[in-house]
Amino acid sequence: MFNKVLIANRGEIAVRIIRACRELGMQTVAVYSEADRQALHIRYADEAYLLGPAPSRESYLRGDKIIDIARKSGAKAIHPGYGFLAERADFAQACLDAKLAFIGPKPSSIAAMGDKAVARAMVARAGVPVVLGTEGEGSLRDEELLGMASQIGFPLLIKATAGGGGKGMREVHNLEAMPALLLSARREAESSFGDGNVYLEKLLEGVRHIEIQILADTHGNVIHLGERECSIQRRHQKLLEESPSPFVGEDEELRQNIGHVAVRAARAVGYVNAGTIEFLVDKDKNYYFLEMNTRLQVEHTVTEMVTGVDIVKEQIRIARGRQLRYTQDNVHQNGWAIECRINAEDPYYNFMPSTGMISNILLPTGPGVRVDTGVYPGFEIFPYYDSLISKLIVWGEVRAEAIMRMRRALEEYKIVGVRTNIPFHQNLMDSTRFLAGQYDTRFVEERFSMESAEEGKDTLPQIAAILATLVAHQQTQRAAHIIQRNERDTSNWKWISRWERMQR
Amino acid sequence: MRYIATIGKHQYLIEIVDEHNILVDGVTYRVDFESISEQPVYSLLLDGQSFESYVYPDEDYWQVLLRGVLYPALIEDEREKRLRSSARSSISEREEYHMKAPMPGLVVSLPVMEGQAVAKGDVLVILESMKMQNELKSPRAGTVARMRVKAGDSVELKQTLLSVI
Repeated sequence: MFNKVLIANRGEIAVRIIRACRELGMQTVAVYSEADRQALHIRYADEAYLLGPAPSRESYLRGDKIIDIARKSGAKAIHPGYGFLAERADFAQACLDAKLAFIGPKPSSIAAMGDKAVARAMVARAGVPVVLGTEGEGSLRDEELLGMASQIGFPLLIKATAGGGGKGMREVHNLEAMPALLLSARREAESSFGDGNVYLEKLLEGVRHIEIQILADTHGNVIHLGERECSIQRRHQKLLEESPSPFVGEDEELRQNIGHVAVRAARAVGYVNAGTIEFLVDKDKNYYFLEMNTRLQVEHTVTEMVTGVDIVKEQIRIARGRQLRYTQDNVHQNGWAIECRINAEDPYYNFMPSTGMISNILLPTGPGVRVDTGVYPGFEIFPYYDSLISKLIVWGEVRAEAIMRMRRALEEYKIVGVRTNIPFHQNLMDSTRFLAGQYDTRFVEERFSMESAEEGKDTLPQIAAILATLVAHQQTQRAAHIIQRNERDTSNWKWISRWERMQR
Repeated sequence: MRYIATIGKHQYLIEIVDEHNILVDGVTYRVDFESISEQPVYSLLLDGQSFESYVYPDEDYWQVLLRGVLYPALIEDEREKRLRSSARSSISEREEYHMKAPMPGLVVSLPVMEGQAVAKGDVLVILESMKMQNELKSPRAGTVARMRVKAGDSVELKQTLLSVI
């Protein structure tokens, strides 16, 4: 049994895990790269040790160093968070070999589910429907993939075998475009996961991405915590999640059916700890297994808000060999939760990543609002890691209340210094299709644009003009004031250059 | 002090009368304007109506983020406006294009060579940032010239990568 946990991650999720450990009265050990010396997870942890230079390959992906630090610090367990080493079976195995508890599934489950092609074959054998694709074929060469493409039919998706988060994923609409797309998909997969293997999957259209949260203990108990709706995506990256799903809505039978299928898929691989089974659901409510994420998800928060289950604490309890504290009968969805992922991306400039120093943050607070973040004013956003800087989560009795609350919280939230996608979420909250819950995985890319969203709105250009003028005026006055003051000693030029340096 | 504020197609003539009074297109408003804790987040009370906004400079514009909408505003005094309208000679369409890094990152590869002819939309640079690979495309047809970076280089924001002439 362990009482000290090493968190092999950074950012908001490292902070989230440290919080769970503290509430359970456990000691925490953080690890960090040279770029993260001032990060929040270092400040909140009981102990912190340097891993290496900023690039992940030399820091957060150094499993050997992490296990070494665990040994030296006396941590008897490792929580991998999401990303980095979370779905690396070899790392999970190395932890067990070093007599460390890995807070996650068994290495064999990670391996089975981590090879997306093997995973699809396994759940298909357990009677779970899967999307047509090249499952169970192992690693294929480009010529073989090109040969199978027409059998599957276009449009199709190239996906990284070791993948997740949309990395190494490409949409293909015809055979001619495929070789170039294979090349770029393999290149991105190689750089993201150190594995350039890809497989093909039929691209279903007009579908929703709905996933089921699973909890399984070492005593054979497996339960699900209901569904999350994750169809609001851009380039296969989730941007907003909600629970319950407005599509499943009142259809309790569908909810229970998908839940039972997810539990069956988890049992099929002898799954232990928290995991998520992702499904694509078409408009006729047919559902297909997409993949299983053998880790804590970014969006676990919305499930926590509606079920009241603290998933991270539950993960730690399971790793300590305890029985689940819940049975399927006492898990209920209460109310509605929405999570907006706040990314350092400029929604007005093709969602390009934005880096730099966060000079100020005004946080939304008040009833029903939760913010999970790893940044604070004075923290610098580097280009080495992903762009998620914060998660804004709200709870409401019903969906309408949750939306109104999210609108209000987004308006309160000000992050100064880097561009963020907060305006995107604000426009989304006003879009009629979102309000009606009528959206699929293509909605953001095909039916939503910042320009048209803002076009139809009641705008306040005159107020904006006044604000900009007052700011410009204030700056002119201040500059004039500084230059006047120098009459006594230094030259005007010196003042101007000082003023210019201040403005940088 | 009189300013001309341009947002989209609209122009507003705004005169700062004194610290608490402004004229907007001839109409007087009472204003109370403060920056929140020295940050570019501003609180504006306009005849008692409360507005809060994030205002930041972006090249020649002020970007005003107000109630979830971004307004790019051009603010000029009368002298600047005269200067600009007299200087507005036509810029050549065949101007050289200098590709600048839209974000800091790592050059993954350059699928083109010096002197190579490219079409509009051809990928010139693949830049990795925040674990995403971004393809930077040519905005016009031309010839690749003055390649200033190579694969493996780290680049800063707005660093010039290459030119299309």
